[in-house]
This record gives sequence, structure tokens and C-alpha cells, in this order.
Amino acid sequence: MADTEALIDELAGLALFADLPRPELAAVAHTLEEEWHADGQRILREGLSGTGFYIVLEGEVAVRIGGEERARLHRGAFFGEAAILLGEPPGADVVAMGRARVVNLAGPAFHEFLMRHPSVMYRMLQEQTRRLRSANRWNR
Amino acid sequence: MTLTSDEKADALGRIALFEGLERSSLLPLAEAASEIDFDDGDVLVIQGQIGTGLFIVVNGAVRIVRHGEDVAQLSPGDYLGELAVIDREPRSASAFAVGPTTCLALASWDLFRRVDADPALSHALLRGLALRVRSLSDHHHH
Repeated sequence: MADTEALIDELAGLALFADLPRPELAAVAHTLEEEWHADGQRILREGLSGTGFYIVLEGEVAVRIGGEERARLHRGAFFGEAAILLGEPPGADVVAMGRARVVNLAGPAFHEFLMRHPSVMYRMLQEQTRRLRSANRWNR
Repeated sequence: MTLTSDEKADALGRIALFEGLERSSLLPLAEAASEIDFDDGDVLVIQGQIGTGLFIVVNGAVRIVRHGEDVAQLSPGDYLGELAVIDREPRSASAFAVGPTTCLALASWDLFRRVDADPALSHALLRGLALRVRSLSDHHHH
């Protein structure tokens, strides 16, 4: 399917999937759902259940905790994984700033997805360590 | 002093990064970890050097020095370099042995080798990190 080929090409350009050979990328592309979000639409809601794993493909999203903006995320950035990993509601609102396109995986499918693609999990591990270091610096 | 694999696994299991890891994941890490003896004043790590792994104090004490100032003293059970074992960023402080000191050391390359072989380990680490990022974010917010 032409659409899936385009998505595979897009995913191939992301750091998260840098280690995947094309057949594995194709499998990933088939598992993920593409979604468009309108300006101001809340993709994740702080404190409410309903978890999912998201990767930004196009546009910009804002991460807000308690109404306060903490970060802007762009192409290649992922979010939503902490809530799934910890079995808790999302810790932040994530809102589309302008039209934004993401790919999404429902919470219950995330664990199997990670187990099936350990190199993706490893890339996430590196990114999480980066985030922990910044959070540490901020707190000092 | 020589630690058994079980004792090493116990020591590793107390690190926040490895919290919740199954024994079956901890034991191979324990086998890869080395016991290192330091004399009084010996250097463990130097601020600014690329970190290659983590150290757990088993016996003795370790002085942490940042920009020439003493910032902490570690006792048995305390550890340093927990993040360096994953990302190999420059050390944020220097560390020196105080009196004769024994540490358990785990090199980042030994952790990576296990991560390749053990997705459950990778998943547990991911979860542990997410927990810590979240608790730091909450902390900052208040």
C-alpha cells in the first residue's frame, strides 16, 4: 500500500528506529496508527486514564503539567510511555500547537511492541537517561 | 574481601536503577561486576572524564568532590555513576577513597551486553528511569 511505504520511509528517518532493518520497520509501520490533531486538541490528558504511546511526525506539541508548559516536542519525539510503563494516568497534558500528525500505539499493545523490538527499547532507554539528566540539572 | 555472586547481586539490586529487577537479570550483571580495592586517597573517577560505569561502595567510604568542593561522602551501600553506565556522559564530580575502600564496579559495556541479551532487563531499566524522571518533575513542580 502506497501510504504504508511513505510511512515506512518517514519512520526510517527517526532516531528511535535507526537500528531497524526495513522489514522490521514495515512491521512497526503496520502496528502504528497515524492520527491528525487540530490546533489546541489535547492528545494526552493529565490525570485521566487512557494511555497510549505517541511519536510526533509533523508539527509541534506542547507538554503541560498543572497548566504550566514544560516542553515543546517535534518530529521524532515520543511521549506517553511513562504512563504505560508505570501503570498510572498520564502525568501531563500534551496539546497540539497547530495541526500535528502523530503515530500512536494503544497502551495495552506497548509492552509487546517493546519486547518485539528491543533496539527501539534501547533507544528509548538512552532518551530516558537524557531526560533524567536534564530533570536532575533543573532541580539542583 | 571477596564477594560471592549472590552478595554482588544483592548489592546491585539495591541501586535505584535496578529496582524491581528479577534475580535472573541481576545475577549475570553480578558476574560481570568486579570488586576493586582502593587505598586512602585513591581516585575512583575524575570530574569531566567520560564515565564508563558505576561504583557501589562495599566497604570504607568515598568522598565526592565537585569543582574543588566536598559535596558528599558515600558509605557502604551508596553508589555513583548510575547514569554513566547507560549514557557515558562526562562525570559530574570526582570521587576519592577515604581510608581503605572496596567497591563493586560495573562497566557500561557489560551492562550493554546484558541489555542485548535480556529484553526484560531493558524494560525494567526503562521503567525505572521513567519513574525517576516523573518523580523529579513532580518534585520540581511543588
